[in-house]
Amino acid sequence: MSDKNNATSIADRLTQLNQLVAWFESDDFTIEEALDKFAEAEKLAKTIDDELSVFKNKITVLKKDFSSE
Amino acid sequence: MENQSLKLSVSEFIAITNQTLEYAYPSVDIEGEVASFKVNQGKFVFFDIKDAESSIGCFMMVFALRIPIEDGMKVVIRAVPKLTKWGKFSLTVQSVRPSGEGSLKKSFELLKAKLDKEGLFAPERKRPLPLMPRRVAIISSTGAAGYADFCKILDDRWGGLEVETAHVQVQGEVAPDQMIRALQYFNEQESLPEVIVMIRGGGSADDLACFNDELLVRAVAASRVPVLTGIGHEVDESLVDLAADVAASTPSNAAQLLVPERADIRRRAKQSLRHILSATEASIVATKLQNHQVLERALLRVSDRHARHEQQLSSTVALLQAYDPKGALMRGYAIVRGDMTKGATIDIETKQLVVTAEVQHVRQK
Repeated sequence: MSDKNNATSIADRLTQLNQLVAWFESDDFTIEEALDKFAEAEKLAKTIDDELSVFKNKITVLKKDFSSE
Repeated sequence: MENQSLKLSVSEFIAITNQTLEYAYPSVDIEGEVASFKVNQGKFVFFDIKDAESSIGCFMMVFALRIPIEDGMKVVIRAVPKLTKWGKFSLTVQSVRPSGEGSLKKSFELLKAKLDKEGLFAPERKRPLPLMPRRVAIISSTGAAGYADFCKILDDRWGGLEVETAHVQVQGEVAPDQMIRALQYFNEQESLPEVIVMIRGGGSADDLACFNDELLVRAVAASRVPVLTGIGHEVDESLVDLAADVAASTPSNAAQLLVPERADIRRRAKQSLRHILSATEASIVATKLQNHQVLERALLRVSDRHARHEQQLSSTVALLQAYDPKGALMRGYAIVRGDMTKGATIDIETKQLVVTAEVQHVRQK
């Protein structure tokens, strides 16, 4: 997976995690589903943690010369 | 001898003089004080530049004047000397920059007031930066310490960024135009970056003066892409900072404002998990309590019903006992069995005896 995709994934996964938190606070909450949802959140948090450890920035200096039009 | 001397028309003389001047002074920097400043027809700028003893007339086009000037300001002009066709000597000015701290400050205040009046610094124009940008453009000098600081903090805090850097001069007379071209370049990309960061480390007021260039300030304000600046030290404030969407105090601070920190994201993820866990535990406790209450209510109801049944049973038993003939015998009554006709034999049962008797007389009550 590329770093770009990683960054996308982290943002997406954080959104998913926030959605899960919202579910736990909503009227849809049921004990029966809670354990599965918690397991899902735990997995997401671990994936985020793993991805944060490996992804790097890609910095490119443009070859274009800005000293003239 | 007289015939060998050069005979020229007036126009030819002026043309040759100008060629000679141009050869001697392709351009010259002159420091002095502005006097008799005026703008004609909104296009032509006239002023004198003078010192204690001398004064020269200056002419320039208004678009070449990148800073506001007024009488009394000390400036450095870059100009070409010229003899006009009316025989008047003047300087055709290519650029003007303030000279000395007082003039820099004055020029800064004049331009700030002008652009502020136009609304370029208005808070409602400011756009928020993306929370987790992926495509970032940088305008800086790649050799500058401020750029290195910015990149280091960026790498320490976050990853996954696609960063394109436009290497430009961030100091001196040519710097504003180079930065304007870089801004235009990024704004004209088919796929726009999410944010443009302008980076420059600390320096003297003169070093940072290029960030007060009117056209550059206007280009920053007009950028389609939000602009984040990290220019100079915390105490420095440029007009580019005021026009930017977000102004960081230093290049390092710009990196901090641009991206979140890995540790923060980890902490947020853990907080979310803890929150979910405590919500689940609280729900389990609440459900148990609810179950217990339901059970208690059910038991109470069963107990009530049992008590009611017991009461009904005892009433029925009491009623049955009341109907028991033996009870009547016990209370002294007797049971008579047999045909109630005269001469018939009947049995009379008491508590203790059964008496056989003959019916002697029968009458209606």
